[in-house]
Amino acid sequence: MATPFHPGGGRATLTLAGVWRGARAMLPVLIPVFVFGAAFGIAARGAGLEGWAASLMSALVFAGASQFAALDLWHAPVPWVPLLLATFAINARHLLLGASLRMLTHGLSAWKRYAAMIVLSDLNWAALIAAEARGERDLGYMVGGGLAMWVVWLVATVIGAEAGDVTLTDLQRYGLDLVLVVFFTTTLVGLYRKRIDDLPWLVAGLAALAAVWWLPTNWHVLVGGLAGGLAGLVQHGRRT
Amino acid sequence: MNTSDTLLVIFAMALVTYATRAGGLWVVGFMPMSPRLEAFLRYLAGSVLVALVVPATVRGEGAAFVAVGATLVSVVLLRRALLAMAIGVLAAALYRRYTGM
Repeated sequence: MATPFHPGGGRATLTLAGVWRGARAMLPVLIPVFVFGAAFGIAARGAGLEGWAASLMSALVFAGASQFAALDLWHAPVPWVPLLLATFAINARHLLLGASLRMLTHGLSAWKRYAAMIVLSDLNWAALIAAEARGERDLGYMVGGGLAMWVVWLVATVIGAEAGDVTLTDLQRYGLDLVLVVFFTTTLVGLYRKRIDDLPWLVAGLAALAAVWWLPTNWHVLVGGLAGGLAGLVQHGRRT
Repeated sequence: MNTSDTLLVIFAMALVTYATRAGGLWVVGFMPMSPRLEAFLRYLAGSVLVALVVPATVRGEGAAFVAVGATLVSVVLLRRALLAMAIGVLAAALYRRYTGM
């Protein structure tokens, strides 16, 4: 076994203190989560879902983009194959997020690891990765952020499905639709390592753009992430 | 869609989604840990973020450029993530107000 190059050492933890830290770190992005959740509730009602069904979907699926996509396919008879394929394609990026957490689950029991993945999502994952760069070794950080998002997402769906008239235009007026991309941007700056990341990130960006232009929607995160990871691996092989 | 179909669709979607959440960690668990794999996973994390940000910025017309640009400059200069996010969002809101987009 090679020595991990993490400054914090090899083993990860999952503690309540970590859960609490992660939940607090998520506060600023809970506002857009709430508004998108309410928007989903409203859209679901428009697509013919009853309130309880929209809320149950938010509680169990907990993945916004794929939930919106399902509304487009919401008719009888159920279009099973397109619906589940769309769900998979839109959420396939989670595969990369999960894979990248290998070191942050090291030493945890299987049930803790896989229970934590129930709330894995882009935002709390990015928060954990950013915190890891500052020495965080607690997977609870991701769980806490995910739980906070889950509660807000569910409450917002219930409100939107039952009574609400927030629209995406209201969001855009205050720039709130851009909170997520701006959050990812600050995370990226925190991760950046001079020279080491230049080439992989350039490859990732170009591959993601190419995927946007030439592939069906929603594959760009997977394609860009893999391309950048592989470019990094090639670069790593050349240096050592 | 009737109630039983609705329940079935929601449960099936939940299963597929959980499979994507757990699958990456599961697969990578079969690979022996090595400095190479660790380096790959490290590059993977950054690359996924790049792949989230770049297309959203390019496709999101002027306001997204303004938001991401203002955030980048602010976070590099001020080193405060929350403040930088606020500046980015505010800049985009102002841009929309004055360009009417």
